[in-house]
Formats: sequence, structure tokens, C-alpha cells
Amino acid sequence: MNTARIPYSSSSATPEARGDAFRKKGQIERAIQAYLDGVTTPPTADLCLKLARSYEQIEHHAEACRWALSIVDSGDDFTAWQAGWGLFQRNALKAERPAVRSIKIALLGSYTTTQFCPVLCLAAARLGIQVGLYESQYGQYQQDIIDPKSGLYAFAPDIVVLAVHDGELHLPEFSQTPEEDVRKEVSRWTGLWQMVADRSRARIVQHNFALPCEIPIGHLATRLPGSQYMMAQAVNTRLGEAAANAVSLVDCERLSALIGKQRWCDPRYWHLSKQAVALEALPLLARHTATVIAADLGLSRKCLVLDLDNTLWGGVIAEDGLAGIKLGHGADGEAFVAFQEYLLKLKRKGIILAVCSKNNHADALQPFEKHSEMRLKMQDIALFVANWESKPDNIRTIAKTLQIGLDALVFVDDNPVEREIVRKFLPEVDVIPMPEDPSYYVRTLSQYLLLETSSLTAEDHERTDQYRARAQIKELEAAAGSIEDFYRSLRMQAIVTPFDASQLPRIAQLIGKTNQFNLTTRRHGMSQLEAFVQDARCVHLALRLRDRYTDHGLVSVMIAQRHEDVLEIDSWLMSCRVIGRTVEATMLEHLCRRAAQLGCTSLRGTYIPTQKNAMSADAYAKHGFERLDSPAGPELWTYDLRVKGPITNTFVKTVESWEIADGAP
Amino acid sequence: MELHDRLEEVFRQVFDNETLTLTDEMTATDIEGWDSVAHINLMFGIEQAFGIRFKGNELAEMKNIGELKHFLVDKGAR
Repeated sequence: MNTARIPYSSSSATPEARGDAFRKKGQIERAIQAYLDGVTTPPTADLCLKLARSYEQIEHHAEACRWALSIVDSGDDFTAWQAGWGLFQRNALKAERPAVRSIKIALLGSYTTTQFCPVLCLAAARLGIQVGLYESQYGQYQQDIIDPKSGLYAFAPDIVVLAVHDGELHLPEFSQTPEEDVRKEVSRWTGLWQMVADRSRARIVQHNFALPCEIPIGHLATRLPGSQYMMAQAVNTRLGEAAANAVSLVDCERLSALIGKQRWCDPRYWHLSKQAVALEALPLLARHTATVIAADLGLSRKCLVLDLDNTLWGGVIAEDGLAGIKLGHGADGEAFVAFQEYLLKLKRKGIILAVCSKNNHADALQPFEKHSEMRLKMQDIALFVANWESKPDNIRTIAKTLQIGLDALVFVDDNPVEREIVRKFLPEVDVIPMPEDPSYYVRTLSQYLLLETSSLTAEDHERTDQYRARAQIKELEAAAGSIEDFYRSLRMQAIVTPFDASQLPRIAQLIGKTNQFNLTTRRHGMSQLEAFVQDARCVHLALRLRDRYTDHGLVSVMIAQRHEDVLEIDSWLMSCRVIGRTVEATMLEHLCRRAAQLGCTSLRGTYIPTQKNAMSADAYAKHGFERLDSPAGPELWTYDLRVKGPITNTFVKTVESWEIADGAP
Repeated sequence: MELHDRLEEVFRQVFDNETLTLTDEMTATDIEGWDSVAHINLMFGIEQAFGIRFKGNELAEMKNIGELKHFLVDKGAR
């Protein structure tokens, strides 16, 4: 029998192909249905364009606008952006779309900015900003600013964007007086800023200078303050200092590195038509420029609404329990810790954190209160909502309680179904398309741009300055002083506790993979560890370390068994990230304390040499242990507490909970 | 899709005109809006769509549809 398929109605055709077929036949509504079936998160640029065009055909102008704007979310396809802007403009006229803000932007360029205009307008429209645009003639940015009768001032802009490139820097190839040449160039720019300030009420958004990738004098340039390359860097730095709160900067140097400098500028298009920024990089530049403008207008979002299970930790707390969730051990566990640390940094710059979780309240609280690897604490969370209500309902409550608009919220949830529900019922809330792999959580969130803040508060500024000053002093001290001075300058703190259930996976991981500082290399598994915890004659210690730069997490483990009045070390190991910081002595200090509590009078240690642990061979000798005769087999060492007294370490401060020292993370 | 249709699709996007139809004899003067800016956008769009790269001087010269198609075939575009 002939099984040839009927074209287009076959289920194997993609929704997009079915849509195309319907559209060809003039069945636009059915085409739209098919296209909508094919929408992914984020949607593809092609599909956005097709939907926008289809809606335009049936005169649903508002939907046409929505899909034209979705091209901004789809990626950085310049051709699609360009087409999207045409579509948006046509339909916005007929749709009566209310823009959040309407502003006049003057774009002053040092290169061909014709192609930058439409993509900037599209990126701004996506953020709710309707732009009235003035574009300077090619390369006329200075003339426009200097001539009081120029078109720029007649236009009376709200924002002046200085879209300039490195070729515009007036710096010699090599300078004998780099300080002076940099100062002169910086004051040329600040002079232009001043002129704009005197003659208009516009705020300036300046693109800083993307350094070129072709450097004739090569790596040598970095050693010569007088090289053009180093002076250009200095100009960027000084411009930032001079800008302070009066001028906003778009960090093109970072953006060019992000996309790759060889892509940022394409020499063919530069030579042919003076495109200093390649067309393929323009959407990225437009997106960031629009975001900085939005932040200046106060349109940035204020609050992150966070899910818990599989968002802040791996697994489900109500099912997996404290010891079962992934946090702080394994690749995923480390990734969740990194994500929490990133969230903390956002909180410190002023972003509010709220929790919205489908959980029993008591279950949801557990990790915050009891899990030692949690970076976020209850005091970091402005509002904690864990119940079985729908997320849109809870998010409305959060907005109401915090007295901020729904349009100030950003929703972060690993679950695509919850994301879709929030997107659908609360269109004002932005939803982050979190990836499946937690390794990419930080990067995905960092690519969401509306958490940009225009300035830190005066108080934040002061605090930051104090930290910076103190850190500099300490660095000098440390550089000048002895190794003891260095240890002290680190301001190390340790929390040393018996094993608790939530730590066991991390402890098992350390025991399983630590090779270098590991005295006995006994690879105990989870069940043995649980047996140690049950055993009253067993001493077990887990050490977490923190210094003024970093929280290192759980980095050292010790297990000892009591035999009468002798406390014998079964296992002693330490992560290589903290070698050379005297942490070993702190571990022994705590072992001595436990020995005293148990009435033991001496410690005994074993060293079993392996191919990899030579560096721990002197661990006992260094702390005053004496070698016992053991002609064959492992080395045995002993420490008489009655004679020598307890071991102590003044470089690491043992604390019950982290103390906030100056400059601490 | 045939090379001709794909090329037509690029033109339609760049010139924002869904009814645009290409013939081999067409040159820049036959298509409304094909100015120097549109030309740059067109060349870029073609490079992206076909995964090829023009040389610097070729970028400026490709102003005839038939010639453009020959060129694309030579460059290995399918």
C-alpha cells in the first residue's frame, strides 16, 4: 500500500512549516495558531517575525507590536532586529500602545550610526521607552556640541548618547608624558560633557572605548604606561571617575570582550562604510545602551522573587531532607552555592530578595536555619512566602506587602510550567528563562539587564570607599610584613563542629577525593560516617573557613577514636584550596579541647604514605608530636597533653557564627 | 529551499517587503530603497543567511542579482 504522506497536514511537519503553508493559502488565523504552537523560550527571531507579520495582516496591531518586540528577546540577529523595527513602527501607530516613558534621544556618533538608530529604538521600545530620535551627521559629534546653534540644541534632547569609538581618541602612538596626555584627552571629553550640561538639560550616556585587538607593539604595550594602548585604558578609567553621578557610561570595553574583539569590529565593513562596531554587535550594544537609559529613568526592576527547590538548592527539601538536598558538594551543589553568592551580591547593591515557594512553611525554612552551606540567610530575604497557593496570587501579595509595583518584580524559577503561568497571569512581571543546568544559573541571571542600577546611594558609596581604603592598607601591610603578618591580614575565622547530617555528603566527598593533605587516606563511605556519628567514643570535627575575601566552605575533616586515655586520629584531611594557612593547627586545637573534655591525656596519630600525600608528612612533627618506634608499616606519632599542653592557633579565630569583620565578604 | 528563494527571503527582510520578487536581470536601480545603507545591510544579511564571507572589494560590487547568485554558487552556498 502506498503510504505517501499528505504534505503539511502530516504530524511530522513542524508547527512553523504548517504555519507557512496556511499562510501561503491565505489562512492567517490558522497560520498564527500553528506558529504559536511552535514558540519556544526564548522564541526564535524567524518565528517572532512571522507572527508579527501575520498579526499585521489581520490588523491585530497590538499583537504585531508584541511579537516585533519579542525579537529583542530572541537573540542578536541584526537583520531580524532591523525588520522588527519597521514592523513595530507601522503597527504602533495603529495600536495605540501606551509607552511607559516617552523621551527624546540625540545620538552623536564618531562612525556610521545609521544602522544603530533603529536597533536602539527597538531595544528601548522593548523596555517601554518610546524614543524620539535625532542623529548627528556622520562624525559630527563635536561640531554639534560646540555650535550653540546646532541641530542638537534645537532638538532639546532628554538624553545625549555619545556613540564613539577608539579611533576617536587623541593619543600619540607613544608618549614621554602619558599622565599629561591622558589628562588632556579626558578633559576634552569632560569639556564636551560640560558644554552639553550648560546648553541643555540632557543627561549624557557615553560609550567608553573598546580597545582594539591589533596592537603593533604587542605584549610590551602593557609594560609601557606611555603606549597608546595603556593610555586608552587610562582614559576609560579616568572617564569613569570623572562621570561620577552626572554622566552614565556604557562599558563598551567589556561588551567588545564579551562578544569577542574580532567580531566587535569587522575591518571589511569599517573600510567600506566606516562601521566601527560591526552590524552583528549592534543589537548587543543597543540592548545595553537602552538598559543604561532605562536605569537612569528609574525603570529598572527592584525585587527578585525566588523559588526554592531546584532554584536555590538541588532537589526537593520536603522529600530529600536536609542531608539529601544538593548544596555545597558536587558540581550541582557548588553551582547552587555560586548562585546564592551571586544573589547576595545583587542584594548588597540594593536588589530586594523575596522567596515564593510551593512548600510547607516549616520545610522551606529548614535549610535557611540549619544547612551549613546556605549562603542566603533569613535576614537576607525581605519576604518569605511558602505555602500551597498559586504563584501569581503569592506574587501579588509580595508586591502589595513590599509596596512596590508588579512591574518592579523579576521571577526566578527552574520550573517552566510555573514560569509560563506567571508570564500569562502577571504579564507585568519579568520572567527569567532559567536553563536546566544550574551551572548556568549565574550567567543567565547576569544576562538579564534590568537589574542595572544608575547609582549607589551616598551611604553605599561611603561604605564602599571605606572598604576600599582599608583593604588597600591591609594589602600594603601584608606585602611589607612577614608571613605571620600575612596570616593575620587574612582575618581568618573558622566554625568547627561535630558532623551534622546536612554536611555528610560534602564530608564524604572530601574523604573520597582529597589526596594531598590526607594523613591516612582512609576512604570512609556514607554508612561508615553515619556509624561514626552514632558512636559515643568517636570524635568528629568539620571545619569551615572564611577570610576577608572569601567563604571557603567546609574544607577540613578529622575523625578520632577514644581508647582509654588515648585519643587516636583515624582520619585527618584538608582541601588543597586552604593549604598553607595554618588551618591544621586549628584542627588540632579542637582535637585537644575534645581530648580534655573526654579526660584523655595523649593524642596519637598515624601517617600512611601514598604517592600523593608527601606534603602532609611533617604535619605531626610541625605541631610537637613525637615519633614512636614502628619498624614496619605506617608511622606512629604521639603527643603528651600533660607535658606539652594544648595546641593553639592565634591566626584563625574560632567562632560560633560568622563575625562581620571589616572587609569581610 | 532553493538558493533563489532563500536570497529572495533575505531581500524581503532587508527591504521589509513581503511581495518583493527577484529576477536575475535586476540591479540596485530596480529595487526601491536599495541605497548605500540598505546595500550594507543586504550584504550582511546574505553573509549570515548563507554562511559565507565576501571580500572587502566584493562587498561593494555585488549589485546585480544574477551575478550575486553565481557568486553564491562559487562560494559553495547551497
